[in-house]
Amino acid sequence: MSVLPSGLPELVADDEPLARFLTQSSQYGAGRVKPAALLPHPIYRNTSVFRVSDDRNLLKGLWSAINDGERRLIGVAAFTAADVRECGLELRADEPPPKHANVEGWPMRDDPEARKASDKEIAARLAAEARLILIP
Amino acid sequence: MSLAALRASARKTTYSDEGEHLREAVAQLIDLNERSFSISGAQNTVIASIREIASNCSFRDWDGYGAAPISARALKTAEALIRALPSGFPLPEVAPEPDGAISLDWTQSRRRSFSVSAGQTDRLAFAWLDGTDGGHGVERFDGVSIPRRIAEGISSIVNVGASVRTS
Repeated sequence: MSVLPSGLPELVADDEPLARFLTQSSQYGAGRVKPAALLPHPIYRNTSVFRVSDDRNLLKGLWSAINDGERRLIGVAAFTAADVRECGLELRADEPPPKHANVEGWPMRDDPEARKASDKEIAARLAAEARLILIP
Repeated sequence: MSLAALRASARKTTYSDEGEHLREAVAQLIDLNERSFSISGAQNTVIASIREIASNCSFRDWDGYGAAPISARALKTAEALIRALPSGFPLPEVAPEPDGAISLDWTQSRRRSFSVSAGQTDRLAFAWLDGTDGGHGVERFDGVSIPRRIAEGISSIVNVGASVRTS
């Protein structure tokens, strides 16, 4: 199995923890991650995540390393690779930045609103499995 | 003079082009005032949240992952959807979406929710979860009445009996 520059294996294992960084308080509510925070990028059709555990210091350290300092990290949506795959999506390691991966396989449709509706259902399923970690 | 009488007066009397413009502006202001009085305080609170999100996410890459800024069209549609809800109907949480849309979410629990996106067109993408069941669809919004499928979907998720003005 090939190893990435970060030292992580290229293949993302089912039990690997994943983190999606949150920069807006409106991305969560009532102790839950809102599905909108997990929707794919509108052009690239993937959702960026990082292969890192839910330790707050680790999360803050990684955020500082990859971010330009313009945005403050206020929370993280934490889930596992198995959660992603159970939603019918795939994971592909994509470094640099270190420990970065993309959630891929969001359905393709010609009608943009139909595509968005489908994305929203999948994001809701993934958000139902996600844990919210607030970063003080 | 009542607002209705003032509005009628503003629209009926004509003097000059300049006066006509002024009267139309006054009529529009009165219309706006009437609409703001006809929605509840809770609806106004949600509209304020929508405007705050639009302001906070008005620049590209607001999420650190390359999101598009919230569009003026999304803001207008989201506000219209809130105004179309009858008083007493449960109100949604709101969230920014990476394509510049605004999500309106009615959430009973992690696995019981209904979500509508106000985006760049008059077509609304929506999705729901109900336990392991779920689905999604698209409906056109005329800016005044909540599409029937969406109103029924919200009602079934949040278990309300309030009647909604639907199209």
